[in-house]
This record gives sequence, structure tokens and C-alpha cells, in this order.
Amino acid sequence: MAQILDIVTTAAILYAVAAGLLIVFGVMKIINFAHGAFLTIGGYSALIVTRLGWNPWWSLAFAVVIGVVCGAIVERLVMRPLYARPLDAILATWGLGIVVGQLITLQFGREVQFVQSPVTGAMAILGESYSEYRLILVILAVILALAMGLVLNGTKLGLQTRAVIMNENLARGLGINSGLVRFATFSIGSGLAALAGALITPLSSVDPNMGVPWLVNAFMLVLVSGMSLVSLAVSCLVLGGAQVLVSTYSDPVAGGLTIVVLAALILRFRPQGFARE
Amino acid sequence: MASRLERIRIGILTTAVLGLASAAWAQDIKIGIPVGLSGANSVVAPSVVQSAELAAEEINAKGGIMGKKVVLEVADDGSGAAGAQKAFDSLIFQKKVNALISMETSAARNAGLPIVTRGKTPFIYTSFYEGRSCNKYLYVNAWVPDQQVAPIVDYFAKNSNAKTYFLIGSDYAFGRGMLQFTKGYIQKKGGKVLGEEYLPMDGSDWTAIIGKLKAAKPDALITSTAGGAPNVTLTKQLRAAGINIPYGNLAVDEGTAKSMGPDAEGIFISGSYFTNIDSPKNKEFLAAMQKKFGADLKTPNDLSVPEYEGVYLYKAAVEKAGSTDADKVIAALSTVSFEGPRGKIQMNKQRHAPLTMYLGQVQKDGSIKVLETFPNVDPGAQCPNLK
Repeated sequence: MAQILDIVTTAAILYAVAAGLLIVFGVMKIINFAHGAFLTIGGYSALIVTRLGWNPWWSLAFAVVIGVVCGAIVERLVMRPLYARPLDAILATWGLGIVVGQLITLQFGREVQFVQSPVTGAMAILGESYSEYRLILVILAVILALAMGLVLNGTKLGLQTRAVIMNENLARGLGINSGLVRFATFSIGSGLAALAGALITPLSSVDPNMGVPWLVNAFMLVLVSGMSLVSLAVSCLVLGGAQVLVSTYSDPVAGGLTIVVLAALILRFRPQGFARE
Repeated sequence: MASRLERIRIGILTTAVLGLASAAWAQDIKIGIPVGLSGANSVVAPSVVQSAELAAEEINAKGGIMGKKVVLEVADDGSGAAGAQKAFDSLIFQKKVNALISMETSAARNAGLPIVTRGKTPFIYTSFYEGRSCNKYLYVNAWVPDQQVAPIVDYFAKNSNAKTYFLIGSDYAFGRGMLQFTKGYIQKKGGKVLGEEYLPMDGSDWTAIIGKLKAAKPDALITSTAGGAPNVTLTKQLRAAGINIPYGNLAVDEGTAKSMGPDAEGIFISGSYFTNIDSPKNKEFLAAMQKKFGADLKTPNDLSVPEYEGVYLYKAAVEKAGSTDADKVIAALSTVSFEGPRGKIQMNKQRHAPLTMYLGQVQKDGSIKVLETFPNVDPGAQCPNLK
């Protein structure tokens, strides 16, 4: 029973981390290697909230705002001039990640720090006592998924975004301002990354490189899930579940490799991954 | 009016005197401190550096070591092997330090030792560790499992009637070494170990291990992670999972316990130093630290106080040897002692030191209440083959 909870909560965390990367990848066709840096920014936003002595729940909203603002600035200054050169853009995001890490080090120091958790302790569920915060994470991840689905399928921006994802040139020909769509997606994607950073910090700790290990897993999940939010949820459950099972029945060292190895195998035998087409 | 020749003479003389003076300064005694300012140890490293700074300041205020000024060279080892190689290399071969005195992870120490051997530099290791690290140039003034594990296990058996244990650690020399010793000791005392689990040093997701711990239902838990971050993440996640069995932590120090906040309450720890040791030397030390660092003071702890004593032990050895020559200092180190905050320290047992050990429990405010005291615990046979 506890294992099912472990799997679901792990999948929820992975989903929160990978969601922002997925939409940026969908619209821009580039993997945003600065995703880990935005995650770190979110973690430090939570740290600031802790230092100010605010209620820890504020760290989520605060992280989103900081993430969106940073994302918007980066899109204008770094990404926009490189839209015609996708490979250079990927390199730029990589470099950006390093720059952000160093700026954070200058400001907050190299050391590992800790944020306050909004809830502590365990609660009884399905005959088990389980970490309350991890259960709340599941609810938050579901809300996040529903909200993203609603925006993509129920708003004008969502419709335009889907159009750009499917065929950018055609969408532009139809009068859709694809530059605006890119701007909005990158900002929102950065905001989501920062949100994920704020969500995971109460479970662990904050340091200038905290985003890096998450980036690798999120990257693999996005590659196997193609372009859909549903298949991302499926990949998180399957690969996250595999990670939990391998960690439990083999050992956690092997567990750390599970997602990367499985993703590589899936892509070898089924290049479209978990996507339908 | 002095003649031109005289003026030139005075000029030459002045230059010579100045030159001599600067030559004297160039002969400072340099102490290298490779320490984990980043990575897992970053939570405790600043307190270690502060300890060394106080020792150096006090020694310099009283005329230095044999009239020479003590200068500290701090290098970040990144808490790991790769960083340590760079740090040791630059300290020994570029900065040309006279000695290394530092607290590090076992991974960093093991990576640094071959460089110490090559550079023939005395190295006083001031961190508690898994034991049995032996090298011609290495001395250790902190505890080893032989001194530390028994108090916790005995206390759990006596006071909580614990028969079954679960062990969790970071996957590196210290984590595995400590738990291996603990396992042997528990079995010797008739207890049973239900599980022994490890996570990589930089891992922060303990979910699967905590799941196994819950399934095993042991009477008590003993952990041995890398100092700092892994310790905090594990404790947070244990508490979030509602684990309330007696919890002994072999790797927590007072500063780290404080940064865990309320999650640390109730943890049992065994160590050679707690801030509320009631001795004049400790009070003097704490007052001096408070005066020097004020609001920036990092709580002195079992990892930082041995650093302070290590600098003084090195001073005593150099003065006894009458030089900073590595071989002479190494020979002298086991014969000198220093009365510090932890009591009288002498590294005369196969490069290790007998220590007074305390069993304590973390209180709500992060302070540590001493439950029992064990005077002069012997480190056992650590390096029987070392002359």
C-alpha cells in the first residue's frame, strides 16, 4: 500500500518538475537547459519567503511570480534573438543555467540551506500513516495538470499555442502572433519551473545546483512523452513507479538511474514514446 | 649634510633591513584548511573555519609559533574526492603550506592522502570518521566508531529495551564504515539488524528507504549520513513519514541539529563535544568565539572544536621539535598535549586520541542535554602497523 503511495507521490513531483519543460519544448522545439536554473530560482524564492517569516504557502505564489518575471526577461534578451538558430538557443539556455547558478551563489552563498515546510507530520490514509506534504503534492500536481489542460483547450491563448505547436508557419500565416505565443509560453514555462522548485524544497534542501539532477529526469520524461500533457502524466507514473520499485527491491543507487535508462530503452524501441501517433 | 656616498650607504642598509624583514614575514607558518565550503559539508564548514581563525588569532597575539606568524589558507574541497584533489594539490604544491589541519568528508580525506604522502606534509584530521585510516603523515584528534557507537546502542538496549535495529547511511566510506561497526556491535550485544540501506552522498530522496524501514518495524533506528545536508533531508523526511522510534544519529553535530529545527527534537547523539560542557576551558573558548564573531558566529560543534585544538596541537609539536620539518613534527605530535574545550587531548594511541564521550539528546530549542558521560574512552587499535 505504502508503495502505491510512494509511486503516486513520486509521479506527482516528477510531473510538476517536467510540465514547464514540456510546454517550452512543444512551442519552441528546443530543450530549455535553463529549466534547472529556474527550478533553483523557485527554491530560493521559497528561501526568501522563509527568511521574511511569511506563511510558507506564500512561497508557491512568490516563486511563480519571480519565475514568470525572470522568464520574460530572459525571453526578450536571450531567446528572441536566437529563434532562427535553435542549436545556438539550446547552447544559450545551457550557459544561462550556469550564469543563474553563479548569480545565486554570489547572492546567497554556496552552502546548502533549508526552507520551512507548510505542513509537517504524517496522516492516516489507506491504513498507512503517510507524509502529509507528499499527499498534498499529489493534489497540487492534479490541480496543475487540470489548469494547464483548461488553458490549452479552453482559452484563445491555448488555441493559438496548440496551433503554433502543430505548425508554426501555418499558424503565422493565419495571423497568429507566434512571437507573442513564444513569449507567453517561455514565461509561463519558467514560472512553472520555479513553482516546482518551491514545491520540492520542503522535502529536501536548497543549494545553487539543486536543479541539475531534476533537469536530467525531466528532460528524459519530456522526450518519451512527446507533446501531450496526458502522456506526460503516463510517463511520470510509469517511469517514476519503476524508479520507486527499483529503489525498494534493488537499491536506491540503481533507482537513481532507472528513469534515464528506461527512457533510452523506450525511445530505442518506440521512437514516439508514450505519445499516441 | 651627509655626503653622497653616505646617503647611498644608508640607502643600501635600509633596503637590506627591509629585505630581511620581509624575508622574516615570508617565513610565516602556513596552515592549509581544505574544507567543504560547498556541497554536503557546507552546513558545518564555516564553523570549522571560524575555529581555525580564532586559534590563529590567539596564537599570533602571543607571538605566533616560535616567533613566526600563523597564516591560514582555506580551500574549498567541494565535500568530495574530485574537489579534494584540487584543494590538496594547490595547498601543498602552490601555497606550500607547512601543515594541513582540517575537517573533511572521508571521501575527500581519502582522495587527499596520496597527495599528502607525495608532498610530505603533516595532516591533522579533525573530523570524527569511520576509523582505521593510516598514513605516515596523518594524525586524528576526533572520535572513531570504537569510541562513539557503544553509548547509543547500550542506551537503547537498556532504556528502550530495543532488540531490533534498522540502519540508514550515505553511500561512502564514513556511512558504510560506521554502520558496519554498529552492526557488529549490535550483534555482539545480542541485538538484530533488520535492514541496512544506503543512498548516494548527494541523494535527497529517501522515499524508498523510509518505505523499507516502515515495513521492517524495528525497535530503534541508527543513521550515519554525510554531515550536513543529507542528514537534514533524511531527518525531515523521517519526521514527515511519522517515524517516532528511538533515533540515534551518528553524524549529527550541534549546528546541524539547530538548522533542522523542531524535526531534530528527541534525536540521540553521542559525541566528544557539546556547547554546554561545563568546564572553564570551554567557557573561555565560547566567550572568545562570541567576542570575535558576534552575530556571525556559527555554533561551535563536534566538527569545529577539534579544528581549534588541532591548530594548538600543531603549535605544541613544532615548538617541541624546534622546527617545521615534517618528519620531526610528525615524531613530536604524539608526545604533546593540549588542554582545550573538550579536555586534555593527546594523540598518543596509534595516531588517535583517547576522548571523553557524551551521550546527549536534542532538545526542542536545538540545544543538547547530556544524559551520560564516559571519560577517556580509548580509540582501540586503529593503526597497529604504523610506526
